[in-house]
Amino acid sequence: MAFQSKRKYCYFKENSISVIDYKDVKLLKRFVTDQGKIMPRRVTGTSAKMHRKLVRAIKKARNIALMPYTNTSIES
Amino acid sequence: MRYYESLYIVNPNYEQSRLDEIIKTVSDKITEYGFKTINHFVWGKKRLAYSIQQHKYGTYVLLHFETEGSMNLDQFERFMVLQKTILRNQTVLLDDKPKKQSEKSTSLDEAINKDKSEQRLVSEQSSTKKVEETNEAVEADETPKDDRADETPEAEQLDDPVESDAEEKEEK
Repeated sequence: MAFQSKRKYCYFKENSISVIDYKDVKLLKRFVTDQGKIMPRRVTGTSAKMHRKLVRAIKKARNIALMPYTNTSIES
Repeated sequence: MRYYESLYIVNPNYEQSRLDEIIKTVSDKITEYGFKTINHFVWGKKRLAYSIQQHKYGTYVLLHFETEGSMNLDQFERFMVLQKTILRNQTVLLDDKPKKQSEKSTSLDEAINKDKSEQRLVSEQSSTKKVEETNEAVEADETPKDDRADETPEAEQLDDPVESDAEEKEEK
């Protein structure tokens, strides 16, 4: 039985976003696992160009404590 | 001309007067180094993703400024690091000139976010509507089938008396 997977697409190209702001945590959280790890491109379907920008934005956000580096034990 | 954005976290336990003092010292330093401020406002008190110096919350202050070159920038960053009242700071080079924002900038940000969420909601609603429409269509398709199903037994019932009549006629 053939399994049809969900179509992957670049979120940024679809929504015509060219600049990723590191302060927009709501957007960046889409591309991060519950643990706080950056999801791979093969999973999210982001284009290479935007993935590079995304990674930089996430790392900036981590530095200024807007996003976690790790979230192994989720604090209540 | 280069444009920079500096975001720094101030101790959240400080009252407004002390916070204003810190902002003033930073802006004084900015003018001392020959930078030109574009925006300088409190972004809001937020929960930190991880604790810094055992603080769970922090007051974020956003600063936009422009300079001719990258002169004195190292000194400015050094000054920011040495401030005990500032928990963390980060200066980023911007591609475009930032828009001048009023003091209501935070509310503006919220408004933008609201717009985005509303758009998402609208799209979700439209999708749900579509689903409903399809369901209705399915129901509409189903209903005549039911009628037909109802019709057939009636037809049989109608057929039966005719047959019985015919039988009666034969008997006669």
